[in-house]
Amino acid sequence: MLEKTKNIARQILEEKKASAVFGLMRNEWNIIQPHLFEDPAGLANLVLEPKWLLAKLAMRILRSSPENYKLAVICRGCDERALIELIKRNQIEKENLLTIGIACSQEQAAICLCDRPYPEKLDAGEKVSGVDPFQDERVRKFLIGNDKERMKRWADMLKRCIKCYGCRNSCPICICEPCKLEDDVWVQRGVVPAETITFHLIRAFHLSDTCVACGACQEACPVNIPLLYLQLGMRKTLREKYGYEAGLDPETKSPVLSSAFEKPDTDREFPDWINSLREEDES
Amino acid sequence: MNPEFIKTICPYCGTGCGLIIKVEDGVAVATYPDREHPVSRGSLCIKGWSAHEFINHPDRLTDPLLRKGDTFQKIPWDEAIPMAALKLRETAAKYGGDAIGGLSSAKCTNEENYLFQKLIRMAFKTNNVDHCARLCHAPTTVAMVQALGSGAMTNSISDLAGAECIFVIGSNAAESHPIIMGEIYKAADKGATIIAVDPRETAVTRNAKIHLRINPGTDIPLLCGMMRHIIDEGLHNENFIRARMEGFEDLNEFLHLWPVKRAAEECGINEEIIRNVAEIYAKVKESAIIYCMGITQHACGTANVLAICDLAMLCGHVGTEHSGIYPLRGQNNVQGACDMGALPNVYPGYQSVSDSEIQNKFQNAWGDTLSNKPGLTVTEIIGLAGKDIRAAYIMAENPALSDPDTNHVLESLKAFDFLIVQDIFLTETAKFAHLVFPSSCFAEKSGTFTNTERRFQLLRKTVAPPGNAKEDFEILCLLGNALGLDFSYKNPSEVMDEIASLAPAYGGISFDRLEREGLQWPCPDLEHPGTRYLHKDRFTRGKGLFVVPEHTPPKELPDEDYPYYLSTGRMFAHYHTGTMTRRSSFLNREVEEAYAEINPEDAALLDVKDGEKIKITTRRGSIITNARITKRVSKGCIFAPFHFAEARANMLTNPALDPRSKIPEFKVCAADVRKESQDG
Repeated sequence: MLEKTKNIARQILEEKKASAVFGLMRNEWNIIQPHLFEDPAGLANLVLEPKWLLAKLAMRILRSSPENYKLAVICRGCDERALIELIKRNQIEKENLLTIGIACSQEQAAICLCDRPYPEKLDAGEKVSGVDPFQDERVRKFLIGNDKERMKRWADMLKRCIKCYGCRNSCPICICEPCKLEDDVWVQRGVVPAETITFHLIRAFHLSDTCVACGACQEACPVNIPLLYLQLGMRKTLREKYGYEAGLDPETKSPVLSSAFEKPDTDREFPDWINSLREEDES
Repeated sequence: MNPEFIKTICPYCGTGCGLIIKVEDGVAVATYPDREHPVSRGSLCIKGWSAHEFINHPDRLTDPLLRKGDTFQKIPWDEAIPMAALKLRETAAKYGGDAIGGLSSAKCTNEENYLFQKLIRMAFKTNNVDHCARLCHAPTTVAMVQALGSGAMTNSISDLAGAECIFVIGSNAAESHPIIMGEIYKAADKGATIIAVDPRETAVTRNAKIHLRINPGTDIPLLCGMMRHIIDEGLHNENFIRARMEGFEDLNEFLHLWPVKRAAEECGINEEIIRNVAEIYAKVKESAIIYCMGITQHACGTANVLAICDLAMLCGHVGTEHSGIYPLRGQNNVQGACDMGALPNVYPGYQSVSDSEIQNKFQNAWGDTLSNKPGLTVTEIIGLAGKDIRAAYIMAENPALSDPDTNHVLESLKAFDFLIVQDIFLTETAKFAHLVFPSSCFAEKSGTFTNTERRFQLLRKTVAPPGNAKEDFEILCLLGNALGLDFSYKNPSEVMDEIASLAPAYGGISFDRLEREGLQWPCPDLEHPGTRYLHKDRFTRGKGLFVVPEHTPPKELPDEDYPYYLSTGRMFAHYHTGTMTRRSSFLNREVEEAYAEINPEDAALLDVKDGEKIKITTRRGSIITNARITKRVSKGCIFAPFHFAEARANMLTNPALDPRSKIPEFKVCAADVRKESQDG
């Protein structure tokens, strides 16, 4: 897979289809980090592991580059989905982006609880089957029980928050400016933990139809809050009730947007987890 | 030009997290977490994420500054360095070398600290060199060296996740060492019991299984009560004590003074909870103790740390992978600054200046005679300004905010005949200087930092310093040479090699071994892989020593005139004297103004509403700040963060010193609080 990826990247650079290839580099000291490959010879140091989300970094590079700068990004399934969402939200010009899609291993899919561990445009590696996160014990723990029990479980987790903003900073889709989390109408400044409802739930619902389940938020969280699990239920509902999944293609619009123009379907049932984050009664 | 991503180390706390700085056209524009870093593994706190923000601040110093009356005038380096050398030499010639004082810096690299202490010791034949470790973990060094033989954290940060019980006392790790707090949660998620001891309610205590809200300054009664109960119940580790300890009889005898009942009364908590936590701590296989400024910043700081060591050794909770004693170091390189001998009594590697064999070793290596008389500490150097100390060289320290009893400190800073301050901003301290050297921040130089788990890590230069500012390394070499020393080092790596040749514990450290994950000392030779945890089969001093921890209550307790307890500390969005964080737009947006926490009942009595101004007064001075009304502080207690120059908490603090380590009692003093009239 690595050799094939290098070949594709080399071809892109040699044929000048892109100004640079964005991926991971391992140097002589065995240090791995994101890197812009501009010279085909440098690709000898290209590596594909560990999983290191590049979509947001790629977006920032493209946004601070000259108009016709073209970037090729080596991306996993989640990275590809994030890049597509960024195209949909006019953050990236579709014409300026090339992707080199690589498949994740079964092991990686299990770690990420990923139900789609491959990009739609797969260039290197073999597709492995996804994992159903709702079969995972760790996820189920947050979904079972009545709403009070679920709320308690989440409250216990979210009160760890140290307000590093790492979930927002690392999320490839969290791009609003100004950010609601910085608006003290919603979130009180200068105190930890950040408020559950106004900080964490604003963030979660802001991403309800754009989250690509990459897990960047959870991986960046210093205090091990399982932030990805907050999104999984909403993703599931969009898929099952609306047939929609974020990041699959640049053309399909989110039902959250389309329902503003179309007559809502009033017969839909709400899934039972939907009030699991309701605040506990004062009593 | 395409952006570059460069790995380096965070400049804030002692955790030593991995950063990736994004550089565009020679400017640091963003900070990202390093997924591969052995400590932070892809996470950062709010300060780490903002680490690039102050670098390009317009307040950065770009040229050497010479005082002209009340103003400063820019001068070139080729005037500044000879002038500094001349003034220091003149002072030393007139008053003797002991009239010179040097404050080195826990913000600077190991190599810079090494050169700084070498410069002071060689050029002036004095050991008057110290740094702000005096204000944070001086008691740790004294007590842990006495009891275990090494003053450093015994284990590694990642070892915490495997502990079955974590006893956190006097540490608000969630705000001050957030990435370490993550390791505590990992342990909790695996079922470990987290016990927190703190007079305040903090993010740590709220997430602990048990919170002991003791009265301020009653740590020794608590720890002694726990030990008494552990021995009475036969829960102490007799095999460990027999094989590896000395002094048990004396300790046991002493502990009869502290039955649980008396301990509970002193602490203001019930007896049962003391018995309960003592049993949990003692019974599990591996328990770790984390402590920080809540333990050390007391006039009984050394005894506090001794009590912690006693408890850990009593239960045999030292020398295994997931047990141990974790003093959390505050500054990015405070461990390193101590290691490098920026202390008045030791050379690099904690080698005593008064040991003649050691003195000979350094005299031979450095090629000159050296003083064997221990020097003065931070508070003494400042306190004796204009008296015994006539000239001072302060590198990247800010005593005008960091030291206790600010009014007194400010008077002292004015009293030097000649004061050189080297910093990246014109700090509150630099404003008193005769000569200011503009230096480099973490992102503008290479070198090494040593984090709280003894890990030497490589700092990489990402951008050039602004204007004519220079790397501290270069400034030290220029000044050293101007003072007639041979400081012809080509780069920091060469300095590290010299350090390795003189301090056995760092003998195996060299820059090319540090590239990937750094190395934890002791690392005596080039083949040695570094040491993850200390005291495995034997203590550094041979046998562990139980030392009796005598209890002394805080030197100043609330009375009729000053009825409140005042405590100072840090909060999550700012760092120390705020020089960097208050110039970071994102951090400053989070917390823009000074505040003090006050309990709702007290606020009601004083008729103060949230956000209104209050005046806090102690015997040293007073400040006006915003009231933050919260139950996080008990009734009768006030908490003030010390980051704010406009309301300096250290105007209020008590300079009473711990007799052995000379740390001031920042954590407790008596204060009065009034509502400040809004029109005044």
